[in-house]
Amino acid sequence: MKKKLLSLLMAGAMTATMFAGCGGSDGSDASADKADDAAADKADDAAADDAAADDSADKADAAADDSASAGGQKLTVWCWDPAFNIFSMNEAAKIYQKDHPDVEVEVIETPWEDVQTKLTTAATSGALDTLPDILLMQDNAFQKNVITFPDAFTDLTSSGIDFSQFAQGKTAYSVIDGKNYGVPFDNGAVVACYRTDILEQAGLTIDDFTDITWDQYIENGKKVLDATGKPLISMQAGECDLIMMMMQSAGSSLFNEDGTANITDNETLKVVMETYKELKESGVLIEVNSWDEYVSSLTTETVAGTINGCWIMASIKTSEDQSGKWGLTNMPSLVGVDGATNFSNNGGSSWAVTSNCQNTDLAYDFLKSTFAGSTELYDNIISCGALATYAPAGDSEAYAAPDEFFGGDAVSKKIVEFSTKVPSNITGVYYYEARDAVATAITNVINGGDIDAELKTAADTVNSQMQ
Amino acid sequence: MSKSSSKLSLDKKHNITGWIFLTPAALLIFCMSFIPMIQAFLLSFKMGKGNALKPAEPIFANYSRMFADTVFTQSIKNTFFYLIIQVPIMLILALILASILNNRQLRFKGLFRTMIFLPCATSLVAYAIIFRTLFANDGIVNLVLVNLGILNSPYSFLTHATSAKVIIIIGLLWRWTGYNMVFYLSGLQNIEYSIYEAAKIDGASPVQTFFRITVPLLKPTILLTAIMSTNGTLQLFDESVNLTDGGPANASITMSHYIYNMSFKYVPTFGYAAAMSFLILILVAILAFIQMKVGDKRD
Amino acid sequence: MTKGKKILMYGFLIIMSIISVFPLLWMVIAATNKSVDVTRGRLLPGGYLIENFKNLIAAQDVGGAMINSFKYSVILTVISLVICSLAGYGFEIYHDKAKDAVMSVILLAMMVPFVATMIPLFRMFSSAHLLNSTLGFILPTLSTPFLIMMFRQSARSFPHDIIEAARIDGLSEIRIFFQMFIPTMRSTYAAAMTITFMNAWNNYLWPKVIMTDAKSQTMPMVVANLTQGYVTDYGMLMLAVLICTLPTAIVFFCLQKSFAEGITGAVK
Repeated sequence: MKKKLLSLLMAGAMTATMFAGCGGSDGSDASADKADDAAADKADDAAADDAAADDSADKADAAADDSASAGGQKLTVWCWDPAFNIFSMNEAAKIYQKDHPDVEVEVIETPWEDVQTKLTTAATSGALDTLPDILLMQDNAFQKNVITFPDAFTDLTSSGIDFSQFAQGKTAYSVIDGKNYGVPFDNGAVVACYRTDILEQAGLTIDDFTDITWDQYIENGKKVLDATGKPLISMQAGECDLIMMMMQSAGSSLFNEDGTANITDNETLKVVMETYKELKESGVLIEVNSWDEYVSSLTTETVAGTINGCWIMASIKTSEDQSGKWGLTNMPSLVGVDGATNFSNNGGSSWAVTSNCQNTDLAYDFLKSTFAGSTELYDNIISCGALATYAPAGDSEAYAAPDEFFGGDAVSKKIVEFSTKVPSNITGVYYYEARDAVATAITNVINGGDIDAELKTAADTVNSQMQ
Repeated sequence: MSKSSSKLSLDKKHNITGWIFLTPAALLIFCMSFIPMIQAFLLSFKMGKGNALKPAEPIFANYSRMFADTVFTQSIKNTFFYLIIQVPIMLILALILASILNNRQLRFKGLFRTMIFLPCATSLVAYAIIFRTLFANDGIVNLVLVNLGILNSPYSFLTHATSAKVIIIIGLLWRWTGYNMVFYLSGLQNIEYSIYEAAKIDGASPVQTFFRITVPLLKPTILLTAIMSTNGTLQLFDESVNLTDGGPANASITMSHYIYNMSFKYVPTFGYAAAMSFLILILVAILAFIQMKVGDKRD
Repeated sequence: MTKGKKILMYGFLIIMSIISVFPLLWMVIAATNKSVDVTRGRLLPGGYLIENFKNLIAAQDVGGAMINSFKYSVILTVISLVICSLAGYGFEIYHDKAKDAVMSVILLAMMVPFVATMIPLFRMFSSAHLLNSTLGFILPTLSTPFLIMMFRQSARSFPHDIIEAARIDGLSEIRIFFQMFIPTMRSTYAAAMTITFMNAWNNYLWPKVIMTDAKSQTMPMVVANLTQGYVTDYGMLMLAVLICTLPTAIVFFCLQKSFAEGITGAVK
């Protein structure tokens, strides 16, 4: 115990001499010889793993052309959601292992917020060797992380992966300075889901909600409200998912190409804010307190529908007794805005290869043969609701199958089609700062604030945080 | 204990023994807290994002920046609102509960104690979900208030500035009162029960006993809990993140929550985050110093 | 005590207990229901407990996480109590100006938010190869200003006469601590043990940063995993939370007698 304490003390004293944040890279080798201390046998394991990884990297180099056939190879992956991302990754591993039985894929379940915390911690303390080979990243955080920690990621542009097969709006999230850093995975194309049985009571059908504008939506919404007393949509107060979806549907962003904030004189944003306010005031939209309450407003039939990324269907489908009562179509478009469409995106994520990946050839080959090359994979994972942004997958039979829950509609095919029409936008490095500031603005506007003044405040907040 | 007896024990040997006793703990705190603290302090004089850091210009830039940061000033106000309202209520309530539960004639003591303690053993995840469910638009609280005729229609508690703060306070009270009660209960065991029996024979009312015996004799423990609660509230994070996510419009965000956002949610600005952390240190230190001055007298 | 007062007292306690326990009761009920029924606000126990349990075991390594959490928490609690009580005793029994000053400095250590010191600490631990280890888990919270102060405050009520008498009997200082102080301060130790165990058990931010390998996951991490999906299975989640809460509740229930009805008879 004392000995261990001493070694830690030394390590502490050593690191104390380096200013925090300078990315002291010498830290790890200098203390490597301390690892012989028996108390930390786990540490020994870690060191041994490192050595093994080095070995296998050497082997891979030696067998350059046929890297994947080298024995005992392993990829570690960080991702979350056992029913979705982890399931998909394990399916991908199974497919890859058919041709490469020696390759092992170890998935370490890590919630997204923890992925972010660990990534930030590792990158700022110069301990990139604690990262896995592959990690899943929220699309909205991609620009931020790659630009802030360029050393932590591997450029995939020349990895042999064909990025042109993915929806362009989706790939754009992980392209930085013209280089590809991510393999697109799950689809966040926006869908509008409605309870057709409730619409019927107001004399409406799903067609009355297809290819419409927000004005028509509000008009229809009032009819539904009069006839049934149910609002059309619920949204989580203080979150601006709907605002962001509306923005992107017109190809508008909170940032300009040069990275400056585009908030104060953003005409689209003003229209979006006015639309949201009208939705709220007309009673067509109700705000709920939390995500749990949002989900429960769908399962308890408090509202007649919702608009969100297509992944919301999985939550809707938990109400098995509502099967056949739902219909799915595209979202309304903004009125009086250039480039307004009925398509948008919310959420979604992509795979990134870290700079700690010792066997990049294997990682590239793995991703190329699975998420960026196997329609079989996408057919297998459709059962969990994971929809492709990989265009060839949309042509397969599995995607054309009717979905009884949504009235026998071939919803999967529809969504893949939607996703190809989504205008791309600029998330920017400061996406989360801007998003929070706009969320504050919309909350104040709902409570009677002036739109221009609130947007000015939001812009000031973002500019100050960009310092 | 008297001054003269403690003076007697202060010979050199005992003095050294004292130092030896506290060395392991002090050494650990030095390594695990002070070294990182010094690094964070140095960091607070740096500007920039992620790893691209440069010395702040002027040197106190991060410190002056926070007073112009409207979100941060809002978070200071919120945090002090919680501190001023929640800590006194919680400590008094805990003290009352502890003195009731210390009564030897009381039945089912163990059961009551465990039930009142349980909230703080609950994992945060459940506590957050439960509270959000209780205060939802169609939640039980609204249901009761509407049925009693106090409200006409459900009130959206978490989307209004004041009620969101109040819910955080209720959450804190619910979760931490039992926790503080534990210290008082254990502190009460070091008071001879016969004192209470004597007071009873002398005809003292429970209220008199509480103020004349319980409070003075528990002073060291009260000081402990006061400092801990002050510290805990000024560093409040969990409730802000999980109950209200700082909303609506930053009306309930705490300082630590904002620091966390600045470090991990937003593009990391560690220099600024460290500077804000040191402001918290200064605030807690001042308050703790006052509390020590008032309550930490050996007599 | 008069009857009226008694009713008042029990009434107060019962109301407080109901307020405290009601949300937990809800959690227990939710653990027996299907997720969709939980979101629909069902308040009656359901028959879905076994199903939730099967799903939970299939989705997460609950057994492994429980073993990890137990291992880390027990080791941390035992060592922490010895180190901190020794220091608290040292600060109080041998107090002088210098030691009081050191105590104030130590108190400073808890006043910086952990988010600020986490990154330097992580760098230290990763260069010392302590990631994914028990030592890595326990070291930062092994010695806490809070526990030291708690023992310092309670040592104030430890009678000096006992120490003097023991010294006359020829007991060494360290034996006075182990043979006189620890047994006398049973109630403080029991309370400290409960709190330390609970804090160790529920610790989340630090473990999630240093435990980068799936085998080292703790129970709160398992619970967090369950909240991350596009679809949250509320029934399963509540069951996991219930399992995660039980150990602390049991520890409390077993120890509460010791700290709330502590026998101070040894002190005369």
